[in-house]
Formats: sequence, structure tokens, C-alpha cells
Amino acid sequence: MIQAVVKRVKSIPEAFEKASGHSGPLYYLAGGTDLVCKAKDRLLPPALWLDISGIEELTGIKDEGDSIHIGSLVTHTALSEHPLIKKYAPALSDAASQVGSPQIRNRGTIGGNSGNASPAGDCVTALYTLDTTIHLECPAGPRSLPLEKFFTGPGKTVCKEKEIITGFSFPKKEGARGCFLKLGQRKTLAISKVSLALSCTLEVGRLHDVKIALGAVAPTVIHAPRCEEMLAGKELNDSLIAESGTLIQTESCPIDDLRSTEGYRCKMTGVLMERALKKVALWK
Amino acid sequence: MLSEKVKVSFILNGSPVEVEVPSHHTLLEVLRERLNLTGTKEGCGKGECGACTVLMNGEPVCSCMLMITQVEGAEILTIEGLGDLENPHPIQRAFMENGAIQCGFCTPGFIMTAYALLMKNPNPDRKQIKEALSGNICRCTGYMKIEEAVMNAAREVK
Repeated sequence: MIQAVVKRVKSIPEAFEKASGHSGPLYYLAGGTDLVCKAKDRLLPPALWLDISGIEELTGIKDEGDSIHIGSLVTHTALSEHPLIKKYAPALSDAASQVGSPQIRNRGTIGGNSGNASPAGDCVTALYTLDTTIHLECPAGPRSLPLEKFFTGPGKTVCKEKEIITGFSFPKKEGARGCFLKLGQRKTLAISKVSLALSCTLEVGRLHDVKIALGAVAPTVIHAPRCEEMLAGKELNDSLIAESGTLIQTESCPIDDLRSTEGYRCKMTGVLMERALKKVALWK
Repeated sequence: MLSEKVKVSFILNGSPVEVEVPSHHTLLEVLRERLNLTGTKEGCGKGECGACTVLMNGEPVCSCMLMITQVEGAEILTIEGLGDLENPHPIQRAFMENGAIQCGFCTPGFIMTAYALLMKNPNPDRKQIKEALSGNICRCTGYMKIEEAVMNAAREVK
């Protein structure tokens, strides 16, 4: 049985009002695909759940001129299908299309995927390659910070008590290319053993704006700065692809766990790096 | 604290309903235990098997992970809204005719997911069917006959 009292709220002020009169544990319910599982596994204390899934202002994907804004309640299905995400953030659209299963993607949200702070979060890995800013709001007011500063460890973030993730934004880049690749026990409903997101542009055969992120190989999603630097401005050819596949294996610090081993994960970052660059080279 | 009730109104199989239930109940619990609609099954209870799939505003979702408060104002379609013994839906008939059922436990979930697919894409190829059904697990029939049933149903639904 789920040990919670669930209250539906229609706006952020209403959420804060209900939260302020409550002193015990509090969780915000968005899609519920993680929260409900954790509650059923008895990993959560009895708590007040504020159901924010009906808050209109947290929905939608908007073109804001120089940047794209994604509301925290946007589902993985919406992300994977939206033309603005496909055009300006192909790695994110690719990642969203591979989360969980169709049923999970129809309910799970990008805000929840971030708030959950799994180092294997597929959408988070893609967001790392987009210079993403995360937007938060607590009763004292809103704040924004680079996504990389939001995560502090597995399941841990800088989110303050009662703070809500309101959305994400990233700068638009014309000619954006990118992809997201992951390895798991099976294609559907498997937490990634290792994942890689790549975003870049390609001008006259040369790579620019290269951003690479790795999932499930460190306590949080991480960048691969040596590889990003090595690839910047270079001509995309077979020898560069092979070189990057070797270099990236030095950039992570994975662990052995029930899903995979340190050695396998390291080796596979190289395989995924090479596959990602080949995908970008054959971009249509 | 844990017995607080909520009133929730939604459209269920085409008709408006209002329920007053404990706020920590899932849609699956309300369907099966309050509304006696036992066609929707509970398998894993954690969104991994798809046995509890219903359509929410036309999209397949796991009713075992949907809190009842989240259903307010939504349109819910369950297997009971699709057809019955006297008048089965073409997808239900196709599952029976193709032997795409053995124990039948996963069948309502598969049929609801297949229905959502065919409403969006009346001409799916085998790859699209596999992708659409990838969140549903069957442990006895195997997937070939299920795919076959959806292919045949697509021809009939057109």
C-alpha cells in the first residue's frame, strides 16, 4: 500500500500554500513513474504528496527566440516527437524516445527524470550536451542554475525543501546534430549500464560545438572534456573517430554493480563514442 | 492521515463517473475494487509488464502507477469499453482467432496498447507493432501470434 495523502494542486502558489502548512515529509507528484514505484517498494516514509500534474504553467515546449524552454511536466513522448526538440536538440529527442517503455514515456516527465537524479537518467545525459539551465522555484522565489550544478550525487540534488523544478532552457544552435546511445540488458525497460549523448554542429566536414556526456559511469552524469576538446574544429574522419574511442575511455570512473562492471563500462564508452560520431557523420 | 478521501470525476468508457476514494489509491485499485471492472489486470504493479494498461486521453498508460488524483477530468478507456462477449472488438476477435491468448492475463493490456496504435497508425508494419507493444510482457503465448493478431486486426479495422 502507498503510504501517502495525495492532494491535487492547480498552481505553484497553491502548491506552496499547501506545503507551508505541512511539517512532515513532502513529495511532488508529476508523472509518478518513479515516485509510485519507490512508495510501493517502501523506500519512502509516509508523506504528503502534492499532485502537480495539472499545473498548466509547467507544461509545453516554447521557442523563446534565442533559446528553447521546456516545462518540467513535458513527457518523454512529447519530447521525442516535438519538432523544435528534433531540430535543436536531436540528442534529447533521441534519449526521450528510449526511456522505459511507451507507457512510461506517456507519463514520465523531464522534471521527474532530473529530480530523481539517477546517474543513469537518459534525458539528463542528453541535457548535459545542450548547455542547459534548470529553473527552480521555492516559496522565497525563483532561481536558475546550470544543470551541472544541480546534481551532487546519486539521487542527490541542490533542491531546497519545497522547491519545485519549473523547467529547462537551452540556447538554439542552427544545424544541430546529435544522438543518444545506451546499452542495457534489453531494449525496453532496462536501466542503462552505460549511455552517451553527443551534440555538435558540422561545418565543411569539421566538428564544432562538441558536447559529450556519459551516463551511469560516475556518481552523476559527467562530461567528457578531454574528448570534447580533442574533437573541436577537427575534420570528422575514420582516424579521428578511432582516436576519440580510445581517449574517452580515460574520462569516466565507473563502478561494479548489479547491472555491469567497471571494465565493461569503460570499454563501452569507447564503442558508444565511435558509434555516435559515425551517426553524426551519416546525418540526413 | 492516511485515510483522507478525495472526490475525482472523469470519463470512463464514454460515461462520466465520480468516485470518492482514499487519495492514495491508484486508478487500477479504483477500477478493480471500487468500480468492479476487473478486466484490467495487476501484474508487476510497477509499470514493467503492461498488464494494467488502459488508455488515458487516447494514450496507453500503466494504471498501477497512476494515482487517482491524476485522473481528474481525463478520458479513461478500459478493455470493458472496447467490446464484450457478444460484441467483441475486431482486435479482441483477432486475438482469439490467431491464438494470441493462452492464460489471457496479459491480453487486456496488449489489446489496449494495440488499440492505441491502430487509432494513430492504421497501417503499422511489424517493426512499428513491436515498438508499440514493447511495454507489454507475455510469458506464455510468445509474441509472434500477438503480432500476427495485430496485423490481422489492422486489416479488419480499416
